[in-house]
Amino acid sequence: MIWLTWRQHRREALFALAGLAVIGTLMVVTGLAMRTAFNDYGLPECVARAGDAGAGSNCNRAFNQFYDQFSAVSLAGILFLVLPLLVGLFWGAPLVAREVEQGTHRFVWTQGVSRRRWALVKFGLVGAAALVASVGYGLGVSWWVSPLNQGWRQNRFDAFFFDMQGVAPVGYTLFAVALGIFAGTVWPRMLPAMAATLVGFVGVRVALATLARPRYLPARELTYPVQGTGEPDPTGGDWILSSGVHDASGRMVAPNAQVICPPGASGPDGRACGAELGLGPGAYNWQLYQPGSRYWLFQTIETGIFVALAVLLLVLAIRRIRRIA
Amino acid sequence: MEAVLETDQLGKRYGRQWALRDCTLRLPAGRIAALVGPNGAGKSTLLHLAVGLSRPDAGVVRVLGEPPHHNPAVLAQVGFVAQDTPLYRDFTATELITMGGRLNRRWDATLARTRLADLGIPPGKPVGKLSGGQRAQVALALALAKRPRLLLLDEPVASLDPLARREFLQTLMGSVADTGTSVLLSSHLLADVERVCDHLIVLHAAQVRLGGAVDDLVTAHRRLVGPRHDGAPIPGVAEIVRGSHTDRQSTLLVRTDGPVTDPLWTEHDVALEDVILAYLVDGETQTNHAAWGVPA
Repeated sequence: MIWLTWRQHRREALFALAGLAVIGTLMVVTGLAMRTAFNDYGLPECVARAGDAGAGSNCNRAFNQFYDQFSAVSLAGILFLVLPLLVGLFWGAPLVAREVEQGTHRFVWTQGVSRRRWALVKFGLVGAAALVASVGYGLGVSWWVSPLNQGWRQNRFDAFFFDMQGVAPVGYTLFAVALGIFAGTVWPRMLPAMAATLVGFVGVRVALATLARPRYLPARELTYPVQGTGEPDPTGGDWILSSGVHDASGRMVAPNAQVICPPGASGPDGRACGAELGLGPGAYNWQLYQPGSRYWLFQTIETGIFVALAVLLLVLAIRRIRRIA
Repeated sequence: MEAVLETDQLGKRYGRQWALRDCTLRLPAGRIAALVGPNGAGKSTLLHLAVGLSRPDAGVVRVLGEPPHHNPAVLAQVGFVAQDTPLYRDFTATELITMGGRLNRRWDATLARTRLADLGIPPGKPVGKLSGGQRAQVALALALAKRPRLLLLDEPVASLDPLARREFLQTLMGSVADTGTSVLLSSHLLADVERVCDHLIVLHAAQVRLGGAVDDLVTAHRRLVGPRHDGAPIPGVAEIVRGSHTDRQSTLLVRTDGPVTDPLWTEHDVALEDVILAYLVDGETQTNHAAWGVPA
């Protein structure tokens, strides 16, 4: 069975290996360039002194220069969001669908090996290959984007950045493969199986990322004055779900805004800080957020959910295979 | 005698449509049996049930004494070539033989290699690039390499030209003659199987119409010619399979259960083909003029 699996999928495996090698090379090259630039701009010091009043505008400028130079590169990171889906489409979906479409299931399932064993070996090996590949690129991307995530503009908790690094891609990849296999047992034709995988994967991913992820743990609230200190550290990596300025009675007066004035400062015409926005005395900033320290916990929860879904789909697929003739 | 394949009231349904129904038959060991019927008669369904690919919805099927569904013990002893001889088209014949060795406990690779060498089939060419006849031969060699006690072939020659057809059946007969393997092969063409089979099962519209040893079937059927028949029983005739009538004369194809002694009737021998056709023509086609929107 192992020989057969290798013989049938060696082309996909070599193709994937070549693709990963190309992507890996590009990552190493641009990753090293990013690190050099990061050091040249003196950003490690800025990160270390983050929140320090003295860090101020020099660091701001340096970060801006850094992001201007590399934001285009970070767009390439979108590619990593698609990789799990590609694995699901080209490894998962054809696994059963192609056999049935070409009728070869009647050939291989009438040899001396039970269907169950056929399924376990095939799913196991393809799943293991997907696992190794996804661990590789998940950790690779974590290394690659870490300079970008150390500033405040591209938080690693943000959509996209959360999804393409760490262990989450492992969950997505296993889920995509399992979804492809399952779709192939429901619609045993290549194109419908691939279409179902595409729709299912995007649907579940978007639903979980937008509806479920912010609620994995109860969010925290933070309030701080519009004038004075106590503003949150922008490099702390907090995931801000919602923010705004409240007046003294606690009513939201300026959604999605933040007003910060240095202590003792006043507006251009001598009025109090924020008066032009209609803020009275006692107004304060408010934000609902997930602390940056929860990043790995959230990664684990997200991965766990997708791995559990993958296992469920594989069990269903094995049950369905019994009924295909 | 031991039966290699036995079914009792066997049925299989796809949705609400029965593909096979009330199928009761018994195939003794050592026979070369033909499963004959028009397209859609349920031949493939019966073979899939026999090889354990699908599970019966009614009745039982036993192959070599055991139910075949999800039963690797049966699989090991049954060789199967599915319709259109599906093989991994990018594999070479050599790789397919290697694969068979990995997936079967009992595997005679030498037998397969020798057969394919005798037939002049290239070992290193992807089987998708072989001709249909050659591919069918590869599939047969793979099925025979299991050294099966029962060989099931689903329309093995349907896609072959007449020459390749003949060659295929000849090599098949040659190889099962000395091993004592029982064979059940389906076909919608009578001429293919007539020469090589000694047992016959006729399927039509999801039901078994006729089954038995070819010799018995031929001797049990007679063509009677006599005066116009009014439906009265004729001594010695068990069943009138088919009759055609003119004003004065009737020609009946009958199944006999004794000598027909009535001097009004003259008796003729019938060929196997006539017998089978008589049973097949008997099937009714369901009209659907309404669905087509045309007058009946």
